Amino acid sequence: MFGVLLLLSSCVSHPDVPSASKDAKCQPDIFPDYCDVTVPCNIAPLNFMLLKDKFDECVARFTTADGKQQTYGDGVKVQIPEDEWHDMLDASKGKSIKVEVWGKKKGEWLSFKPFEIRVAKEPIDEYLSYRLIEPTYVAWSFMEIAQRNLTSFEETQIFNNEITMNDRAKGQCINCHSYQNYKTDNMLFHVRLSNGGTVIVNDGKVSRVNMKRDYTISGGVYPAWHPTAKLIAFSTNLTRQAFHTSNDNKIEVYDLASDMILYDVTTDSVTIVSNDPELLEVYPTWSPDGKYLYYCKSVPLPEEMRDKDIRTTYPKVQYNLYRRSFDLATHNFGDEELVYDAASSDKSVTLPRISPDGRYLLFAQGQYGCFHSRHRDADIVCIPMDKFSGSALTIEASSYVDLSSLNSKGESDSYPSWSSNGHWIMCASRRDDGNYSRVYFSYFNNGKVEKAFLMPQEDPEYNTFLLKSYNRPEFMVEPVKISVDEFSKVFDR
Amino acid sequence: MINISKVSNGILCVSLLAFISFVAYILFINQEVFYTAHDRSEFIFGAPFFHRLLSKPFGLIQYVGAWLTQLFYRPALGAGVLAAIWALIFYVGSKAFRLNGSAAAMMLLPVACLLTSVVDLGYWIYILTLRGYWFSQSVGYLAMLLLLWVARCTPRKWHIVWYIFGFVVYPVLGWFALLFILCLAVVEKITWREIVGIILLIFAALIWHRLFYSNLKFDDVVFAGLPRFVTPTDSSTHASIPFWVLGGISILISLCGRYLDKWIVPALCSVAGIIFVSSLMFKDKNYIDEMRMVRYAEDDNWKEVLNIATDAKKPTTTMVFLKNIALMNEGGLLDRSFKIGNIGADITNPDSLFVSLLSIASPLVYYNYGLMNEAIRLNFEMAEQKGFSPFYLKMFSRCALANGDEKLVERYTTLLHHHPFYANWKPAKVAKNVVDLQRAYSDELTGVENSDSYIVNTVSLWRDSDIKVASEQALFYSMLRCNSQCFWPSLRNYLKMHEGGDFPLHAQEAYILFVDRAPEEKRMMIPVEEEIYNRYKHFCDILSKQVKPGKTIGKVAEEMREEFGDTYWYYYFFGRQYSNTVNSKDSEIAS
Repeated sequence: MFGVLLLLSSCVSHPDVPSASKDAKCQPDIFPDYCDVTVPCNIAPLNFMLLKDKFDECVARFTTADGKQQTYGDGVKVQIPEDEWHDMLDASKGKSIKVEVWGKKKGEWLSFKPFEIRVAKEPIDEYLSYRLIEPTYVAWSFMEIAQRNLTSFEETQIFNNEITMNDRAKGQCINCHSYQNYKTDNMLFHVRLSNGGTVIVNDGKVSRVNMKRDYTISGGVYPAWHPTAKLIAFSTNLTRQAFHTSNDNKIEVYDLASDMILYDVTTDSVTIVSNDPELLEVYPTWSPDGKYLYYCKSVPLPEEMRDKDIRTTYPKVQYNLYRRSFDLATHNFGDEELVYDAASSDKSVTLPRISPDGRYLLFAQGQYGCFHSRHRDADIVCIPMDKFSGSALTIEASSYVDLSSLNSKGESDSYPSWSSNGHWIMCASRRDDGNYSRVYFSYFNNGKVEKAFLMPQEDPEYNTFLLKSYNRPEFMVEPVKISVDEFSKVFDR
Repeated sequence: MINISKVSNGILCVSLLAFISFVAYILFINQEVFYTAHDRSEFIFGAPFFHRLLSKPFGLIQYVGAWLTQLFYRPALGAGVLAAIWALIFYVGSKAFRLNGSAAAMMLLPVACLLTSVVDLGYWIYILTLRGYWFSQSVGYLAMLLLLWVARCTPRKWHIVWYIFGFVVYPVLGWFALLFILCLAVVEKITWREIVGIILLIFAALIWHRLFYSNLKFDDVVFAGLPRFVTPTDSSTHASIPFWVLGGISILISLCGRYLDKWIVPALCSVAGIIFVSSLMFKDKNYIDEMRMVRYAEDDNWKEVLNIATDAKKPTTTMVFLKNIALMNEGGLLDRSFKIGNIGADITNPDSLFVSLLSIASPLVYYNYGLMNEAIRLNFEMAEQKGFSPFYLKMFSRCALANGDEKLVERYTTLLHHHPFYANWKPAKVAKNVVDLQRAYSDELTGVENSDSYIVNTVSLWRDSDIKVASEQALFYSMLRCNSQCFWPSLRNYLKMHEGGDFPLHAQEAYILFVDRAPEEKRMMIPVEEEIYNRYKHFCDILSKQVKPGKTIGKVAEEMREEFGDTYWYYYFFGRQYSNTVNSKDSEIAS
């Protein structure tokens, strides 16, 4: 019985193309929008659907660069078997797949203008990890850090917040998974509240550490692994959140204080990188060669606002981007350099990431604050680093790379990152409905950025059914090999 | 001999009939509970919800249970399906345990346990996190009995296969798989097979945890499916009683069912079942009335909300809030609210469980006061912990519509459209009052504000609003706060916004009281009705006579309720809940 069910569910529908149809004179309104996107040559099938309330059926014909054709369609959904899809990608690498779509509406077929899926030669990193969490406010229950194979639809759990929770009243939060150089033998994530600590994997060995020292304001928060050494830069933060009573942004997350530390994994030692008592340092990230530490730092508030509650001054808290050179031999940092002056243009910069070749800088920019995933005006900005010659770049520099095809209009785009080959930009965006963040990818080549596309799912409606946000998506070139159970054992010790 | 058999059959029939009638009656009087069960039970169509449940043992049965709970939208239909499952349990159970003649009536006891489990929850219904609770235990028990029946139809030497099978189906049946092994083992004479069965039973959870569920806490794998009533702050043992009794009775029937073919057994089982259900069932009029009010409020049927409120003797805080929203929409808030009553009674509950407006209806209340961001936040906090049930999905849709987030409306309604009874559901048009009140609310940053006094304080601060309905609400809530400093500016603004209108009864009562109580405060002179003024004087006379050393506030309140319970003054002296000074009903009256 089960076998029969499996067999039935694995049957693929290859419907006939409608013999007669009316010309719709436009491209189809499909979800996700994969019209004229550029995709990696190893991505999972781009399954899509026509809107259920507008159409009853859908047929799509895919024509690969070698002229082979195949049709798909089951109800309003187009779901392509993985092996057939990868054959299509292989046949069209560096070229395009033509997609013709027909939609049936009240018994009549409409034929839409064909669109193309361009297949880039460059693959995307095979794995992606993220935290799945409701876009909630204060309360939470189950959350997990999961990893997804981007060449298929396989998703597995890295860790969850229930297995080691020993105090229900406190609850447990897990966050900030981070990897060294896209690999997973050296990685970390935090466990907060009940049974808390930072779980660090050092050459495959798991340990739990408490990074709080009497000279730091908190344990490590936002991490950045040094690309070659067993060093992790962290910000330390006293973070709070407050809620707008009548504002589209709904939530403000802000820091009362934040500094930066350097954690030496080998010696379990913590040294202060910067701890200006007046200003807030956050979001460290290393240059790919490990010679610079980039980070965001707030600018001083206007004199008349300095003693006021942050709940009234928050719209004036703005961050610029700085960097300091780093000497690996001595672990000494050089003087601070202002790289990008956002505040002078009434903007605030967060979450910097340097491309693997060191030529480009990505960050999220909004009008104020450090938590742009909740700011509807937040967009991703890309700046060529060759424009930085020692004097601070300004907002004009953001026009060198046009990211309009990556950014959404009026919804938060945040948490940018690069794939390990530097050809794929990823961001977390709430563009689909303003509430649930989803992962979007864009092809990047020599400063040119193609239209962003949503991470594919086996069922295109999955994005509607999933009432969780994708939080902190991070590329990985290999999966995390340590099981949930193995991770949990460090909490027994 | 024939006569004894006839009597025996007669007693069996009468007992069954009596029990069936009792079950039908209990199901009938719990219709509102079942509707609420569907409203607060999560079932999300699609892979994420399915996979989430299947990642835990007993998840499949929970999934089935969650789907079936949707049928409670039509309480009679859901109850009918539940009763049909119990009828099957009776039939299959009597076959599985080989209960002949009168002994078959023993199967009334498991049915009584299952019936109890759906009517003894009380306020747990609002905070229950067990998916598919309402049907999953009945479905699981039926599956267990079917297995037992089939197993006992096979030769005894095959039983070892069934013990192993019981172990294998542990991820599906959870604790019922263990019960199956145990029942099968105890009905037979102990041999090495039964010993193997018992060993499998003891180690089943451990083995499955090691093999398959290592990403779960061991506690969540042991006795999977056996309902535990625990939240981070509360726990209950009484709600688990029916399941322990169910397990115990099943073993008892396995052990001695064959000896119970006695004429008295049906009568005893029927009576025992009725007593068991009656003693554990949650009975409280406010509990049901509250559910009805929430149901009508969800549909914006404010007339019915008012009807229920008018009949309620001692309404709960939730009922008071819903009644006041109803009066805002139907008119007469400042003329009728204190007549109907604003003193919220505590909920009754058999354990320490704390449930308040927050869990029962807070998003609905915040939505209707136009406090949309708070409504969304609370909706998320609740749904995220208790499940994205229709109640929360509907509220999400309505809030999104009020905020103009069309895409979000579409997402939530798409989820609802997969529900068998919400296929064409659309959020109702946003009421004018909600739109107006949304405008009355300026933006500021707040902390975690969840209490009902937050609503009272927030709305009472709308005293400068140039929106008519907001000025009325501000005046009303400043009266609820019993705060003269809030009252005067609110009254001024109200009169300015309602120029030429009547001076509402309760506003007059408050006016007279505050003029009398705080004459030093900057106040305004407005003519009031003589009759109301005289009544206030009479109230004060009576009150001064009641005040005697040693007499508690509660006692005075009780004695004055009949004559003055419909006035603002009564609320001010005996019922205030949101002012800074809280009167204990047991404290002595200060002069």
